[in-house]
Amino acid sequence: MTYSRRTRAAAAVAGAASIALLAAGCAPAGGSGGSESGEQIELTITTFGTMGFEELYTQFEDENPGVKIVANNIDTGGNARTDAFTKLGAGSGLSDVVAIEEGWLGQIMEVSDQFVDLRDHGIEDRKDDWVPWKYEQATDAEGRVIGYGTDIGPEGICFNGPALEAAGLPSDREGFAEFIGGADATWESYFAAGKQYQEATGKAWYDHSGFVWNAMVNQLDEGYYTADGELNVEGNAELEERFGWLSDAVGNDLSAAQSAWDWNKGKSFVDGTFATFMCPGWMLGVMKGKIEQGGGDASTGWDFADVFPGGPANWGGSFLSVSATSKHPEEAAALASFITEPENQVTAFNAAGPFPSTVGAQEELASAGSGDEFFNGAPTGQILAARAEGVVAQFKGPQDSVIQENVFGPALQSLDRGELDGPGAWAKAIDLLNQLVEQ
Amino acid sequence: MTSTLPRPAAPATDPEAPRPPRGRTDLTFRQRLSRFDVKASPYLYISPFFLTFGLIGLFPLVYTFVVSMYDWQLLQGQGEFVGFENFANVLQDPFFWNSIFNTFSIFLLSSIPQIAVALVIAAVLDQNIKAKTFWRMSVLLPYVVAPVAVALIFSDMFGEQSGLVNNLLGLIGIDPVQWKHDTLASHFAIATMVNWRWTGYNALILLAAMQAIPRDLYESAALDGAGGVRRFFSITVPSIRPTLIFVIITATIGGLQIFAEPKLFDVTSAGGIGGFDRQFQTTVLYLWEMAFFRGNFGEAAAIAWLLFLLIVLIGLINFLLSRRIATAETRIDKKRTARRLRAHADRASQGLVGEGAGVEERGNR
Amino acid sequence: MTAPAQTRIFPVRRQSPLPKRGGRLGRPGFLAYGLLTAVLLGSAYPLWWSVVLGSGTNATRSETLPLLPGGNFFANAAKVFDAIPFWTALGNSLLVSSIITLSVVTFSTLAGYAFAKLRFRGRNGLMVFVVATMAIPTQLGIIPLFIMMKQLGWTGTLGAVIVPTLVTAFGVFFMRQYLVDVIPDELIEAARVDGANQIRTFFHVAVPAARPAMAILALFTFMMAWTDFLWPLIVLSPTNPTLQTALAQLQSGYYVDYSVVLTGAVLSVVPLLVLFVLAGRQLVAGIMQGAVKG
Repeated sequence: MTYSRRTRAAAAVAGAASIALLAAGCAPAGGSGGSESGEQIELTITTFGTMGFEELYTQFEDENPGVKIVANNIDTGGNARTDAFTKLGAGSGLSDVVAIEEGWLGQIMEVSDQFVDLRDHGIEDRKDDWVPWKYEQATDAEGRVIGYGTDIGPEGICFNGPALEAAGLPSDREGFAEFIGGADATWESYFAAGKQYQEATGKAWYDHSGFVWNAMVNQLDEGYYTADGELNVEGNAELEERFGWLSDAVGNDLSAAQSAWDWNKGKSFVDGTFATFMCPGWMLGVMKGKIEQGGGDASTGWDFADVFPGGPANWGGSFLSVSATSKHPEEAAALASFITEPENQVTAFNAAGPFPSTVGAQEELASAGSGDEFFNGAPTGQILAARAEGVVAQFKGPQDSVIQENVFGPALQSLDRGELDGPGAWAKAIDLLNQLVEQ
Repeated sequence: MTSTLPRPAAPATDPEAPRPPRGRTDLTFRQRLSRFDVKASPYLYISPFFLTFGLIGLFPLVYTFVVSMYDWQLLQGQGEFVGFENFANVLQDPFFWNSIFNTFSIFLLSSIPQIAVALVIAAVLDQNIKAKTFWRMSVLLPYVVAPVAVALIFSDMFGEQSGLVNNLLGLIGIDPVQWKHDTLASHFAIATMVNWRWTGYNALILLAAMQAIPRDLYESAALDGAGGVRRFFSITVPSIRPTLIFVIITATIGGLQIFAEPKLFDVTSAGGIGGFDRQFQTTVLYLWEMAFFRGNFGEAAAIAWLLFLLIVLIGLINFLLSRRIATAETRIDKKRTARRLRAHADRASQGLVGEGAGVEERGNR
Repeated sequence: MTAPAQTRIFPVRRQSPLPKRGGRLGRPGFLAYGLLTAVLLGSAYPLWWSVVLGSGTNATRSETLPLLPGGNFFANAAKVFDAIPFWTALGNSLLVSSIITLSVVTFSTLAGYAFAKLRFRGRNGLMVFVVATMAIPTQLGIIPLFIMMKQLGWTGTLGAVIVPTLVTAFGVFFMRQYLVDVIPDELIEAARVDGANQIRTFFHVAVPAARPAMAILALFTFMMAWTDFLWPLIVLSPTNPTLQTALAQLQSGYYVDYSVVLTGAVLSVVPLLVLFVLAGRQLVAGIMQGAVKG
């Protein structure tokens, strides 16, 4: 990075400010202070959401006596993004190991030189561990690999058995899967099933349109960007068509117009507000927490079906990167590599539910077949492994998460809440896109 | 005050006295040192403030302008000089105007009821009530709750589907209000947070002004047959007008900077930028979004400057208003001085100016 | 100079030539106390409600107007300590607020005394400058400050939070307004005739007289620093937060436990509540004093 004369002047003035500070009788406190007394190394790692790594930290510390891990978990991927970019902008403060979400990986790739090329730390020897598209996603334009894949987010459908049963519809896993279209399920068949449910009960079919839209976009070969990185939303017939499907579904009262991540403090999962839900692997943990918070438990009757409309879809998944400012890149890479080893991904899955991105771990989960009590005994590992089949990597552009959350998010909420009709909501999305995303 | 005593003539040390011609050095070294001391000390005392303030207050303001002239990104740093392009972009940006609208709407919804209620509370506190200190402290209680905690508590109370407020409204048969989605309702909810924290504080300021009103004014009005409400509007309110304006202006400047409340009111929507549709995004929150969410420092700096100009504009209006009032006031200026003295005495007698008394006690011990 | 001699000059205890304020017209009735009680309830209930929900169960939440706390407060408090580095944040907030308070009070008293009682070239102009800058919110400078902190490498450290608030124009104005009334010029003159140099006069005349105002300024500065959110949010990391930024983290999660959020809010209020109980009278007096001065 080159500093202009002006910024250097700023630094000089700021330096004087620090003298003023000393004059005030105090020194800047805090700072990570790389306490390198003796052999002890402190490794910092920043994760978000529920990744299930805690046990692995202890294990790594046990195996590497000289290392102490200081873990920091940020609540959501969105806040982790702001935190990461603020620190990148500040040029310091990033942890040694940083978890990066697929949604904003595109933006990270624009400054990929801020992260260590993991080929220098032997990631190429492990290349075949991962599903191929995961490894590709972490590779930048110059061929540098900047992330160890942790989890992926193959999507299935969660459904509430008792709610379907009350409507006189199939309520077991296989029956439900068939009901919404089975192996050839399309969005059309999913919404048709929903219409049937809605007419029988007067209740909504899914929680809100944002998650459905997200799945629809993610399962396309190209999403908001073309494979060459061109923004491709306005005039994109594929997207517009899907938006129309959603608008029809909303017109049939299939959406419960919920606020995502809130769901009336979890109660909407419990009181039958909606009957189905888009479920990437990591969502199962989120749901469990929400249901418990809403006063429900396993008997609330949520289940997880091996089916997804419109073909396989992936939502989310993360990477562990080593920041270029790390003082201990070797050890940091070793930690990140350790966490993402197949058997350790299985540990993380069992702890918190993120579905592994390594083939070995997926195979292990597929064969284990143990059921999840909370989800009516559904063999979640096995189902997710099946749902991961056929998932393809989609190029994520620099503004992907912004387009998802701040362009289509508001437009779909307006649609859900009946404030705008389909064409109006689409126009609003395009309007927001032009405001927020530089073409 | 007693400062009208003639000052002892001390030309050698009085900096404003005509200087003795140079070279006449019958001053001792000590005297010269003392003279230097007198001359230099004031600058020495004010310099820490001015130097530090220059660095942390003034310089950033000027430098904000510099940043606003460039294409400047959070990640990529300083780019090309673009002149006023960032300003033009911001001024054409509907989100910016949306944030200005929201800021003013929230400000109006907070300041008007806040000041009205504060006036009433102050008027009640100004009466000869029992346990004065207790009641005064009780109205100030919300002031110690930081805006972040206020936001957490109230965003829960204003939950749409099962929040306390909607529950209570349900009792009287009102349908749940969409506090977080509806523009006006969300402004009302945020204004409520601001009001809750500041009403008592402003009531105390108004109370202080009310206590400075000579009691005989009330007494003669009462003799003339004016009722309590009449006295309140024809004596109390006009007498405290300068303070009232002070309160309004501080509320405005504070209101233009609301950040924590909208930031935390609905964090699950759109990354906490003020509602899924920015329906309660204030200008400072938009500044934050532009700088640290979208990473566009150049435009964010332009927003900061526009906000600064807005504050200056409002400050000027304030200045003109209070000048007009001040000219009206000079006529009764003497009376006011007397009032002040009495207010001091009054408050001292009520034990409110405890700190003054405290020092005196300590001194006598 | 001896202490009693200085403290006797306080104007607040001057015998007022005016008769003392007698009883108010009529006695406040039921209506007045009713209104005050309503205000008290309005002030206190949101806090109490947070305690009740923070200590309750899911059933508490479904009550329309919950009044009685449950037994889960400590369990939820433990969850707060688990979720955020509460003690680090509390320590940071105390440290940051104390240093800022110390600095603001010191520099404001020095400058306020000079403006109030010393004559020097440019005094009026500089004072106008101070008053004019009083309304400038420091948060408008966050972008250059962020760039400065980046150049210094201070991002993430407490110094980055402390430095931008080391002085305030309001503090100088406040001290000047107070000292201009409180110290008679002849006292300073007397000190000088006694042979005291300027700095000695400052410490032996100005500081004792300024003490009450310093206390009030300290309270307000502490409050201001304690409640600041925007700048610490930008410049600190979640691992080394202040209380406010740590608290904000509690709320935004994939699945937020709102009882825990409210427990956190209550815990964060405790330190200032203690301060309020100890110094509430001074706070009340300070606000009222500030009103007369301002």
